[in-house]
Amino acid sequence: MSFIEARGIGFAYSPEEEKVINGIDLKIEKGSYVAILGHNGCGKSTLAKLLCGILLPTEGQILVDGLDTADDSLAFDIRKKCGMVFQNPDNQLVASIVEEDIAFAPENLGLPREEIRARVDAALKTVGMEEYADHATYKLSGGQKQRIAIAGILAMSPECIVFDEATAMLDPSGRKEIVAAMKRLNKEIGITVITITHYMNEAVEADRIIVMSGGEIIGDGRPEEIFSEVERLQSASLAVPQVTELLYLLEQDGHDLPRGILHAMDAADVLETYIGGHKNG
Amino acid sequence: MANALEVKGVSVIYGEGTPFRKAALNNISTVFPQGEITGIIGHTGSGKSTLASLLNGLAKPTEGEILLFGESIWAKPKEMKKIRSRVGLVFQYPEYQLFDETVESDIAFGPKNLGLDEIEIKKRIRLAADFCGLSDKELKKSPFELSGGQKRRAAIAGVLAMRPEVLVLDEPAAGLDPKGREEILQGLTEYKKEFGATLLIISHSMEDIAKYADRILVMKEGEIFMQGGVEEIFMQAEKLFDANLDLPQITKLFIELKKRSICQSTDVYTVGYAKKEIEKALSR
Amino acid sequence: MLKDVTFGQYYPGKSLLHRTDPRIKLLILIEYLVFVLIASTELAMAATLLFTVFLVSVSGVRFGILIKSVKPLLFVLIFTAIINLFFTSGEGDPLFAWKFIKIYENGIRNAVFMLLRLVSLVLGTSVIVSFTTSPLQLTDAIESLLGPLKRIKVPVHEFAMMMSIALRFIPTLIEETNKIISAQKARCADFESGNVINRLKALIPILIPLFVSAVRRAEELADAMECRCYHGGEGRTKLKVMKAKAGDYIFLLVVTLVTVAIFFLDRITWSEAIGFCRDIFSK
Repeated sequence: MSFIEARGIGFAYSPEEEKVINGIDLKIEKGSYVAILGHNGCGKSTLAKLLCGILLPTEGQILVDGLDTADDSLAFDIRKKCGMVFQNPDNQLVASIVEEDIAFAPENLGLPREEIRARVDAALKTVGMEEYADHATYKLSGGQKQRIAIAGILAMSPECIVFDEATAMLDPSGRKEIVAAMKRLNKEIGITVITITHYMNEAVEADRIIVMSGGEIIGDGRPEEIFSEVERLQSASLAVPQVTELLYLLEQDGHDLPRGILHAMDAADVLETYIGGHKNG
Repeated sequence: MANALEVKGVSVIYGEGTPFRKAALNNISTVFPQGEITGIIGHTGSGKSTLASLLNGLAKPTEGEILLFGESIWAKPKEMKKIRSRVGLVFQYPEYQLFDETVESDIAFGPKNLGLDEIEIKKRIRLAADFCGLSDKELKKSPFELSGGQKRRAAIAGVLAMRPEVLVLDEPAAGLDPKGREEILQGLTEYKKEFGATLLIISHSMEDIAKYADRILVMKEGEIFMQGGVEEIFMQAEKLFDANLDLPQITKLFIELKKRSICQSTDVYTVGYAKKEIEKALSR
Repeated sequence: MLKDVTFGQYYPGKSLLHRTDPRIKLLILIEYLVFVLIASTELAMAATLLFTVFLVSVSGVRFGILIKSVKPLLFVLIFTAIINLFFTSGEGDPLFAWKFIKIYENGIRNAVFMLLRLVSLVLGTSVIVSFTTSPLQLTDAIESLLGPLKRIKVPVHEFAMMMSIALRFIPTLIEETNKIISAQKARCADFESGNVINRLKALIPILIPLFVSAVRRAEELADAMECRCYHGGEGRTKLKVMKAKAGDYIFLLVVTLVTVAIFFLDRITWSEAIGFCRDIFSK
């Protein structure tokens, strides 16, 4: 069974308003790293909130590890399994001191003191912020604050973390810190990572990309597959990585180059072979 | 072309004479030519935003002078309002400054503070709304009903309505999707063309800067690390790379291709130019 | 302007005062406030000052920071001192008289006492509580001390949680206010001229964005807290369990003795004290 399963879900903020999510079916496997990509206002953040039960679908059903998010008595169990990191680092830290903030979730779970301590220390270590345990949260940089927010969720020992545009308000170095943290959580600890973003270079790090537009899913596949359809992405007001676009344009001109190359290094390899072959041939 | 702004030996020092002395800007001198777009890049804490707040007199430099068309902006401190209308400053996430009942009246806030008459204010609103792509329907709405991208444009319109000769923008496109970025930067470019205005765009995104700017100023630890025309700066792309700046992906590709001696140019920063370079390499 | 406010800021450390149980610290603070306010003789004041110096020295807070915490109050301090200096009428002849200004010996005494009292209050409160106790510890302590009120349905936990969140957001909101002020200044807003009504009107473009943003922050924070399984105070455990150690009680006892001592010192004059000492030595 999939870890998260959405069955024909729809959502509108009020009955009079237009639907933000329109008939989505989706399965997300345990331990996967999924990016949900889309332009501003395409419904991707709403979908994220639906997936971890902060919002309830107005149509259809969402199961998190087999538990229905609409069932109020399960809300607590679902939140424990599926945490969420939000966009604004300032608005999700509860306490003024780093370790007190991270302890917030385990305290709510009513864990014994020693267990809380162990979880706080482990979470701080995972995000590489051990030496900041007794620092004031408001003095940290944006990237550091977001890492504390991640640690705060990690301390719940969740199976899945949803990142709702968690890098949108950060500078490039902060963004790199968070993407590196996401990768580590997924590859080393085996946490299911779902990241909502409109940055291509973050989406390409995932194992699977879901493209959204107008409250619907318009593409779902491996990054190479998704980015090989350049026109389709552009029609959804999204860009592709520059090297992907370059190779695509060259291919359109009749050059025999592969599609779906996402990284500069891979593109250099492909071009080296192609230009070398061209000269010899 | 005349220089719209001239920064002469400017330093900003906090805690002078204490052990916590810190120079946010250290003896900076540069010029911003009229009618050009200068992109200012650098890491967080490199002094970019400090520089921005000096240019319209919100902060005063510890040392040095800032000249607007040859005249020091601090020559008549009582007339600072006038300077602020001539040098418009748009902060990061400007949508957080919106306050009035309608978008229209919010945009009118600046012109009203300047004491302009009704007819002129109406004209200014129209003009700013056009450049920022706001429809009549949106002008009548409450700013808090707009989408994120629209709010951003409404806030920028609020500064454009003062019709500044120089416009300084701190990360105008932060957090917007590619289409939203394009719309805003395109509108600003049009404003520049129409009024011969001078634009300073502070951004982390080398890709945006490479696409829109004429000149680039690279800041590092409170000093100017590099400055010059866009091509001139990208000729030294390796230097930018070593300074740990976020280069456009296409430039990274060409740095790698140069290492492998496939292409020689590293001043490649747009996809169109890149395509030409590859075609050149193929025909050799 | 706003960035100079150091009130309510916590400076991490491991000093005696940092380690003391926050509930004990609150009780100590109450006693401290009592004797600072009652000390009215030279002897009592000297003892109070001595004890304040002791507290400051065991707090491990840097001197520069303490000075900074008093600085914003400088105006209030000087103002109070001047009021006391000029408006205390005393017996006998004034020491200084010029037109309607008369300074009596009593006035000088009152001014000095008031000054010392206020400085002691600020320094003492800072080092006993705000500089050495994290806001969360403080609210935990209040929650625990007021705990018995829960039985009569006073929402003590909710009150403490609200307080700790408010403290957490003070620096964020100060920063935001400064940003909004700058942004509106860049749109030529004028906060400095005009009459009172105009000046109040000029605050609207600051207050509305600030209010809107505070509401947005509150909504987002509520979501984030819910995501982290917050469900009120019931069944909640704590990372930092407050456990008063023997040392804490001794500290409290010492302060209680100091309070009593100062209370007695306040009843006797110099000559009585000297006589008392002489009696002891002659025995």
